[in-house]
Amino acid sequence: MRAEELKGHLDALLLAALEGGPRHGYAVMEALRQSTGGRLDLPTGTIYPALHRLEQAGLIKGSWSVVGGRRRRMYQLTAAGAEALSGKRASWRDFAAMMSAALEGPCPDPA
Amino acid sequence: MPGPRLIDDYLAALSAALPPRIVEELADGLDETRRWHLGRGLAPDAAAQAAVAEFGDPQVIVTSFTQASSGRRTARRLLLIGPGVGLCWAITLITARAWQWPVPVAARVLFGLALITVIGLLAAAAAGRRYRPVCRAAAAACVGTAILDAVLACTVLVIAPTLMWPAAVAVALSAGRTGFALRSLPHALTG
Repeated sequence: MRAEELKGHLDALLLAALEGGPRHGYAVMEALRQSTGGRLDLPTGTIYPALHRLEQAGLIKGSWSVVGGRRRRMYQLTAAGAEALSGKRASWRDFAAMMSAALEGPCPDPA
Repeated sequence: MPGPRLIDDYLAALSAALPPRIVEELADGLDETRRWHLGRGLAPDAAAQAAVAEFGDPQVIVTSFTQASSGRRTARRLLLIGPGVGLCWAITLITARAWQWPVPVAARVLFGLALITVIGLLAAAAAGRRYRPVCRAAAAACVGTAILDAVLACTVLVIAPTLMWPAAVAVALSAGRTGFALRSLPHALTG
């Protein structure tokens, strides 16, 4: 799946990747790759601005830690982020159910 | 050990456009990516090349950070609320026949030029594609907005203190906007 197809869904994916606990930027990308079975085709560098945007929105919280003598920015979900993720999941289920019904269900006979 | 030349060049391109704290974070991620490729058996140069390719075009990253910056968000909000506050001030000044006030022409011209400059700075911050200029323009516009609002409010309170609701609403809106601009200033400065 390419970046343009993800428009509008990247925030939900990033929040979901942080649901399991704090991660740094590359670990978020790794988690997304694993959870999507490697089908996510997104430049890793674009994950970071998206994380900063979510942090400014108060949905995740960033903090610096030192790993192997090097500073590393870690991110974790905030309460507002968990709530937003829950809302995005519900919206996605509705959207997916609607699209499945429309694309895969029986086509009604024209009157 | 210094990183391979390719990685250094990539980080130098990012450093030219982004603040050190962001570049530090990206450097960590890039190094993790390079190590991952080394771990799957690639030679150092090939691992560096794969890491850089995986991270993507530096210009795209810079543009994405610029779009996500506090400076741009602040500028867009100030542009959004500007017409409403401006309309309130226009009603206030017309109601008070402000053209008859004892304000020197030079001061009026200076205020007009400052207003145009602030609007220009906000437009530059809202639409700019380069991170640092966007942050600088947004920070300057925040200061300018606060000064213009203070000048307007003080002028009305000194020259026409008996004005009622239009002035009260305009001063209250300006106070709110000034508070927002000053609160946003540190974030705009740091991106």
